[in-house]
Amino acid sequence: MTEPVPFHFSTVAHLELPAGWVATDLDGLSEGIAEVPADSLFNHVTRIGARHPRARDLPANDFARWVGTALQDPETAERLAFAGAQPIRPIEDLRAALVAILGSVPKRRRSESVPESAAFHFVRARSIVAGLALEAGEPERIVDLWEGVDLAAVFYHLVEARVIGPKADDLCLWLRARGAQSMAEGAEALSSAGLPLARLRREIAVRWRRALIPRRVVRRAEVPEEVRRSEERAAAAKLAGRLRGAPRERDRP
Amino acid sequence: MSGWLARYADLVGSDTLHALESLARRLRGHRIVMVNTTRTGGGVAEILHRMVVILEELGVPTSWELMEGDERFFGVTKKIHNALHGRAEPLTEADREVYLERTRAEAGRLKLDGDLILIHDPQPAALIAHRKLPGQRWVWRCHIDLSRRDPDHWEFLSPWVSRYDAAIFSAIEFVPPLEIPTYLVAPSIDPFSAKNREMEPEEVDSVWERLGLRQRGPWVTQISRFDRIKDPLGVIEAFRMVRARRPARLLLAGGGASDDPEGVEVLAQVMERAGQAKDVAVLELPPGSDLEINALQRGSTVVMQKSLREGFALTVSEALWKRRAVVASAVGGIPLQVLDGQTGLLARSVEGAAFQTVRLLDNPVLRRELGAEGRAHVRGNFLHTREVRDYLAVFASLV
Repeated sequence: MTEPVPFHFSTVAHLELPAGWVATDLDGLSEGIAEVPADSLFNHVTRIGARHPRARDLPANDFARWVGTALQDPETAERLAFAGAQPIRPIEDLRAALVAILGSVPKRRRSESVPESAAFHFVRARSIVAGLALEAGEPERIVDLWEGVDLAAVFYHLVEARVIGPKADDLCLWLRARGAQSMAEGAEALSSAGLPLARLRREIAVRWRRALIPRRVVRRAEVPEEVRRSEERAAAAKLAGRLRGAPRERDRP
Repeated sequence: MSGWLARYADLVGSDTLHALESLARRLRGHRIVMVNTTRTGGGVAEILHRMVVILEELGVPTSWELMEGDERFFGVTKKIHNALHGRAEPLTEADREVYLERTRAEAGRLKLDGDLILIHDPQPAALIAHRKLPGQRWVWRCHIDLSRRDPDHWEFLSPWVSRYDAAIFSAIEFVPPLEIPTYLVAPSIDPFSAKNREMEPEEVDSVWERLGLRQRGPWVTQISRFDRIKDPLGVIEAFRMVRARRPARLLLAGGGASDDPEGVEVLAQVMERAGQAKDVAVLELPPGSDLEINALQRGSTVVMQKSLREGFALTVSEALWKRRAVVASAVGGIPLQVLDGQTGLLARSVEGAAFQTVRLLDNPVLRRELGAEGRAHVRGNFLHTREVRDYLAVFASLV
């Protein structure tokens, strides 16, 4: 029997580089979308979320914003926004959906162009992955580590690894393989919704903790009374410390 | 975690810093050398001061070498700099010889003993011809907007740039055709510098008073050097439209007039036009007025950046960092910072700038919301920690 593989958390930095395609009208945008490598397409629909992890309301993807602001075509912009709003989607499906929307725009509007200075430049993203020295042997341990994982890592394990790979870094896949079906389903449902990353991390943590309550209650009942009391005192002291301390910058609204 | 990293932890979160440490671990056993031509003045020196310390704290040994030159050398490099920005002056044979001779001399003197060499801007670019050792990785970091480069000057420089292992530019529009890998790394601001550090309201008031700005607001300001591409006359025009509908004052503050003949001319025009308008103040700031700029931005109700053309325009990030409501043109790097309706408002015309300014003057809730989102956006994307992360990623991709 083989040993179960632990899950290693990693963070990611996206190195952006020119993809070599530039569009000044909807036809050019459509050609670019049809031709650029998958990482470029993925980058353009997801980087707004990666760059705005704490937004209350995520702005539309790069294509939609360019069409709305540079080409001043709000109708096409909103259609592109909707098509790109679902981060967990096979890239080729996404590509086909975007190209279909652009193809359905009346021909006259498709060739209305902007000057070079307002052109859309396609950008590729090369992922530089670095291990976080956080490892979970059991799904329960994932819950303990989850809130110490940076938002780039949340994006990498829940969105990028799932859509682009590598599969070994897909957290939901690992949870399923370890029998944590409900944890995987919860994470999948929330990450498919395209929430801002900070909210996604928070809501997943809440859902996972809730899912683990029955198991933890049983385990807690087995802990000696004395140990339980001392742990409760420590938790109360920690809470008091947090209430006394000033809020950190990133916690402020 | 200690030193500068600990100060950043409160702003960006310890999880982000742990991620930085993880990236830095990929560079264990490597050593970085940064090279530029000045330790004081200018954004590059400013960022290098911090970056070297942060990289050291992350456990990546980093040193900073200064290429020296005489007046002739810097005269030539200034010419190249201007020409790469689009203001062409012919590069003579004598100019080329001055540049190459100084490069040869400095190549023999500089301590380029790391295996990852980051060369900043065109002045030291040709060092690679003399000093690149097997196993070393050289990266050229261009902080200049090359989109209007003069072809002769670029033809002179590009053979050296092509010998690098990679090049980094601030925005995609600035990237010239090159056969080497090119990466995009946006510049960043230092939240602890005099220009961006927190200030108490009393301190802000005292600076405004010291500068002779005692009138009550609301103030609309544009803080930029007096240059046509910053469109100060367009700002006055937009403000006249605003002033016809709402009580407000405009402040145009900036430097760049004293050492630039064109700047003197622009300032004179601005003064003349301001004299004809109601409630417009013009302030020429001397170099090193960082604290004054900080206070002026903090005391403004609306910050405008109505440029006709821009490089990256970090002044926008500076204003967003201070939770200011920003109205800016959709040019250069501005749309990366101002997401229309989310972190600020974009305008494409004089009337548009006036319209957006009136919206903001009338709506304190909108100003607050944009300000809060703008600060969060800068925190995640335009502080030095993000630029350090990107450099670490570039190097990690090369080793």
